[in-house]
Amino acid sequence: MLFNSWQYIFFFFIIFLTYFSLPYRYRSILLLVGSYIFYMAWKWEFAFLMLAITFVNYWSGYKIARTNNKLHKKLWLAFALMFSLGTLVYFKYANFFIDNFITLLQQLGINNNISYLHVILPVGISFYTFQALSYSLDIYRNKTEVENSPVNFAVYVAFFPQLVAGPIERSTHLLKQFKEKHHFNSENLIEGSKMFIWGLFKKVVIADRLGIYVDNVYASPNGHSGATLALATFFFAIQIYCDFSGYSDMAIGSARILGFRIMQNFNLPYLASSISNFWKRWHISLSTWFADYLYIPLGGNRVSIYRWIFNIFFVFIVSGFWHGANWTFIIWGALHAFYYLVEYIGDQSLKQASLQSLKNTSFYRLFKIASVFLFVCYAWIFFRAESTHDAFHISEMILTDLNSSVYLGASTVSFVLSIALILFLFIVQILQYNGIASIYFSKPRVPAALQFTYYVFLLTGISLLGISSNAFIYFQF
Amino acid sequence: MLLYIFSSDMGFGKDIRADKNFPRTVRIIVLFIFTFFLIDMIIGTILTEGLDRYYGLGSNAPLALVGHSQTMLGIDKVILEKELGLKVAKYTREGVNVADRQMMIKQLLSDNKELTYVIYGVDSWLFTGEGLSKNSYALFYPFMDDPVIRAYIKKHASLSEFLTHRLVKTTRFNEQLISGSFRGYLGNWSNLKYGHVNIQRLKESIKNNTFRKINTNSANINIFINTLDVLKVSGVKVILVYIPTIDLLNEAAGPEFDRSIQFFQSMEIKFDNVIFLNYLEPYAHNHNLFYDPIHLNPEGQLEITYQLIKDLKKHFNADY
Repeated sequence: MLFNSWQYIFFFFIIFLTYFSLPYRYRSILLLVGSYIFYMAWKWEFAFLMLAITFVNYWSGYKIARTNNKLHKKLWLAFALMFSLGTLVYFKYANFFIDNFITLLQQLGINNNISYLHVILPVGISFYTFQALSYSLDIYRNKTEVENSPVNFAVYVAFFPQLVAGPIERSTHLLKQFKEKHHFNSENLIEGSKMFIWGLFKKVVIADRLGIYVDNVYASPNGHSGATLALATFFFAIQIYCDFSGYSDMAIGSARILGFRIMQNFNLPYLASSISNFWKRWHISLSTWFADYLYIPLGGNRVSIYRWIFNIFFVFIVSGFWHGANWTFIIWGALHAFYYLVEYIGDQSLKQASLQSLKNTSFYRLFKIASVFLFVCYAWIFFRAESTHDAFHISEMILTDLNSSVYLGASTVSFVLSIALILFLFIVQILQYNGIASIYFSKPRVPAALQFTYYVFLLTGISLLGISSNAFIYFQF
Repeated sequence: MLLYIFSSDMGFGKDIRADKNFPRTVRIIVLFIFTFFLIDMIIGTILTEGLDRYYGLGSNAPLALVGHSQTMLGIDKVILEKELGLKVAKYTREGVNVADRQMMIKQLLSDNKELTYVIYGVDSWLFTGEGLSKNSYALFYPFMDDPVIRAYIKKHASLSEFLTHRLVKTTRFNEQLISGSFRGYLGNWSNLKYGHVNIQRLKESIKNNTFRKINTNSANINIFINTLDVLKVSGVKVILVYIPTIDLLNEAAGPEFDRSIQFFQSMEIKFDNVIFLNYLEPYAHNHNLFYDPIHLNPEGQLEITYQLIKDLKKHFNADY
């Protein structure tokens, strides 16, 4: 069930009316049933997988909290980790490992009859697995209390607005909200709807339109010039932002209407002035997850310089691998780690050369924003390309064939419209950056009448220029 | 049920009464929906009017051009109007098959009461394919205020699709249609594609057997014949025009190609209101006239348009 479908609007309307009409004690049950219906609309069989991961983490959390024996705590946590990550590895990475093993054997000249597994990747598995795991890890680290209600825990794992593509919530933040008594509130209804409309606009008007061009070019990179590949990469940078942040906004907006507060997932990432800042603005829920549950347990930056470099590379590569079972994602992660370290060295050099004052100038700031955007765009090549071969070819073409002619797509009107929409997006983002337009429920500094007109304009844009697409990019992760 | 929910003393009803902003919120929502639909109606009406002008629907033009991109790029409507001294409706859309064209002709018959001649673009690949594609009805969304079109869409679209497009006018358009609508207002009917066909690539495609084959589907032939019947009953003369396709492709298509030409010739005998104008000779051999193997470039468009004008004048003189 996609957010950009009438099916979802109808489903949500029923949930909304029923949720606020039911006595409080039944509301979690309603959300649980609704969330499973939402998930089963895709493939009902995989609901059992989600149920199993829910059960294992709930039971492990319960056992960890109830025992004082440190070894037992560790064993229960290991059980939860092994079961959850093992399931994830089986469904998502098994064929990748098999493929690489076969290649290795072939390189060594060893004949083999190893066959691939016939598995389908369950939608949202990476998201709900991490969300469930955060509970077991938080219990182990005494960051949260054990949840007595299995229903509340199950709905925490399966909460439909953010089930299939995040934001990845934490038990410390979301779980307790299922115990709260939510009252219908007209402000929530308005603010949630506004957020939903903006997310829908980004998805169906901008992302899906750019996606047509990007898919066309990236499907056959050998047939396109360097300039065309550069344009497609730029379009992809905007597409993936609008696609994913659009989904997050719709998730946050839906939850807000029901009275739930879901964490912000994007905060104007393309206006980041450093790579580290970019990662505080892009897919925030995943970045903080890796920071809290991987980077800090590895020692973070309170270790030797070599160990720290290892930690940075390890976390970024794992983060890349989380996105998909392909070397392209691993290289994408490694590239970001490389950027991070180069930036660190650059900052240290500025300090040593006593050029710190340079950092406060507007020119330097603009230069950094533009540079970060360019480097991030370059890394997106690896994220989007079908194979490492394609990625290196695109990368080479962009660097050597930039003065070539540009393919503008099947329709010039569509191309002009795409550029106009990107400009519109950037204007809105700059207004958001300066606190004039609203971002994540902040109070905008514009008159109510103008806001009203803006949202009518967005909705008209959706109905006039919206393109129906069958999926969100992040569903595949 | 909604009334019960909102008036209940528990849950929703209680929350609503406790929410001091609720009446204001309801007013805002109602105003928002009203404004949205008002703007939607205005934009939808403006775009439909522009599109009607672009396609010449409701223009009472006695002559109409119907076909797909081949006809679109093959004939200049403005020169045709100027030279013939009559109004021409150019209702050509990319990729329309025989079934779509039948609907387009029905639309023209219903909108243009003075329709006397239909120039129907034909080619040897006209009957290739599945006939009515799954979502052909979507082509006609902009015109669904017309009861005939509405009934057609209702028959084929899902209920949610039908209701969405019925209620929200702006959902009926895409960027090509929006562009067409603007062009209708600007009076810009030029359809030109500059450049020349890549003969080398075509030869490779023929050599590799990757060119599009002629695969005649009898259901499509029946739809075509039925369309000619409809036009005959309506007293409209039909001029089947074969806008040239390049000779190399025609030859590669084999005997099926010749059979299709014979079929179009046979229509002249079967229907007394049908004339077939075959422009393959001598133009199919002149590669400079082609943008790609099946579309003409501006030079080709000019040649064919003037040839058509010459032939039409001959027929018109015979008629009057």
